[in-house]
Amino acid sequence: MRRRVGRQRRESLIGSAFGFEMDAIRTEHLTKKYNLGWGRGRLLALDGLNLRIRPGEVYGLLGPNGSGKSTTLKLILNLVWPTSGTAWIFDVPCTRVASRRHVGYLPENPYFYRYLTGAETLEFYGKLCGLRGASLRRRIDELLELVGLARARDRRLAGYSKGMLQRIGLAQALIHDPELLLLDEPTAGVDPIGSRDIRDLILRLKQMGKTVLLSSHLLSQVQDVCDRIGILNLGRKILEGEVVPLVRDQRRLCFTVQDLPPHGREAVEAAVVAAGGRIVSVEHPQTSLETLFLEALGRDERGAGEHD
Amino acid sequence: MTEKEQEPRLFSLSRIWTIALNTLTESLRQKVYLILILFALVLIASASFFSQFGLGEPGEQEAMEQLKFMKDFCLGAIAVFGMLIAIVGTAQLLPNELENRTIYTILAKPVRRCEFLLGKYVGSALLLLVSVAIMSLMFAAALKFKGDNYLRLIRGAAGPQESSVEWEQMQRQVERIRATVYDTDLAKALLLAYLKLALLAGITLFVSTFGTSIIFNVAVTVMIFFAGHLVGAAKERWLESGVAQFLFSLIPDLGMFNVADDVILGNAIPWLYVLQVAAYGMVYLVAVLAAAVCVFAEREV
Repeated sequence: MRRRVGRQRRESLIGSAFGFEMDAIRTEHLTKKYNLGWGRGRLLALDGLNLRIRPGEVYGLLGPNGSGKSTTLKLILNLVWPTSGTAWIFDVPCTRVASRRHVGYLPENPYFYRYLTGAETLEFYGKLCGLRGASLRRRIDELLELVGLARARDRRLAGYSKGMLQRIGLAQALIHDPELLLLDEPTAGVDPIGSRDIRDLILRLKQMGKTVLLSSHLLSQVQDVCDRIGILNLGRKILEGEVVPLVRDQRRLCFTVQDLPPHGREAVEAAVVAAGGRIVSVEHPQTSLETLFLEALGRDERGAGEHD
Repeated sequence: MTEKEQEPRLFSLSRIWTIALNTLTESLRQKVYLILILFALVLIASASFFSQFGLGEPGEQEAMEQLKFMKDFCLGAIAVFGMLIAIVGTAQLLPNELENRTIYTILAKPVRRCEFLLGKYVGSALLLLVSVAIMSLMFAAALKFKGDNYLRLIRGAAGPQESSVEWEQMQRQVERIRATVYDTDLAKALLLAYLKLALLAGITLFVSTFGTSIIFNVAVTVMIFFAGHLVGAAKERWLESGVAQFLFSLIPDLGMFNVADDVILGNAIPWLYVLQVAAYGMVYLVAVLAAAVCVFAEREV
């Protein structure tokens, strides 16, 4: 068995020397059927999924509830076993413990040990990854700072809010500085500020060259952070592609003009029609509710700051 | 990258220890255990308290009876509370991990399933060790306090200027009471009581690898617990049937661990017996943990 691993390793090294890049995640015909038990048949949760995620990419797995997003992540982590098909992490079959050495995972709606403090939680997961002593303590401080929980480090998780649990979950996923992150609904149930923070964090991880596979049904966020998306429905991948070309409407063009006098507008409209175009709509752009919300809170906090 | 770095060792004691300490911390911070231990302490205290009422003349007979009663009561209390902690405490470990999804975050790290399971077991065994040790120390302190009280009363009743015959008789009484209080066989009884609880925790963990809820785990383990106390007698009843003997040998013979009655009656317990029972417990424990690891390896979380 050892010898085979060695050969695989050499092959992948040879592969990268010749310019084929190793995939961060690869799945082939990954299929999962859950037994419903007592003769009620089997539920097809995932149907022949083929996935290739390149290193350094942020990939979003979209789909309605029950479409197989979480199942995909669990299969890749070997938490559940495929009915057929295989998955690899950095070319190591996911059935091997070694495949999980460079992976961080944030489950959906995580609850951690309620009786541990934030710092103790990170210490526990760090030790499981083989970190010790001063380097572990330094890493814990860094991560608590990164996810904004430095002030809550000595509070037990029983008293953490939903957003804080999600952030400590991200911190534990990052504890061993993994190359690949699997995030299951990272912003579910988090308020807009919290979810913006998580979005910024994912973008920062991307700048650091990490690979991220996230599942979500919050489409606007996925659009902001993902390079590529795949849409699952009833366990089958029905669409996949780069986000920017996918969402770009090739037939339409949108100008945003500032301080245009009324007669200028008429001239523009006439010019468009003269050139053979058709005006579909002319409207004042609206600010999003999210921007409004964040601005209002920002003003309020500044106001509160002045009172102190 | 060498091949050795490719795959972690078969299992790592430090990861098992990390999970064990986490399990212990988690249990100790759930106040349930503190209440259980506290309750046991209250019982032990009350054992030494209400025996005070029975005291008429501070005779030797009276003192010996009271001390025996106290031993009986306290060893019983330790066994019962230890059993509660072993079964209830261990039965909820895996269901809670699944419920809180903490098991996902642990198994998503480079941790083997057997390491996770053994870590949970060691955590349970440590919790039992702490609980039994605390109860035993309190028991020993109460026994010594009680014994010293009687010794003072008997010495006081005899007085210093008595004749030599009565003095010698009093000395013999003192010796007998001291032997009852400082009985090393008590330590053997407590050791076997702990081993029995550690085995019971292993059986509970095994049941919970295929059990689906806390209540199922507790119910099945309690049944095994009672069967384990009856199986010794059953084996003797059906000596001639090989099949029956084989089936009975699958059930842990928990009755063997109970030496409390002999200790109270003052029958000597040979070390050989203690070692034999301990060896039986260890073999059974290793087998049941191996079975647990096998079942858990096949279970989807």
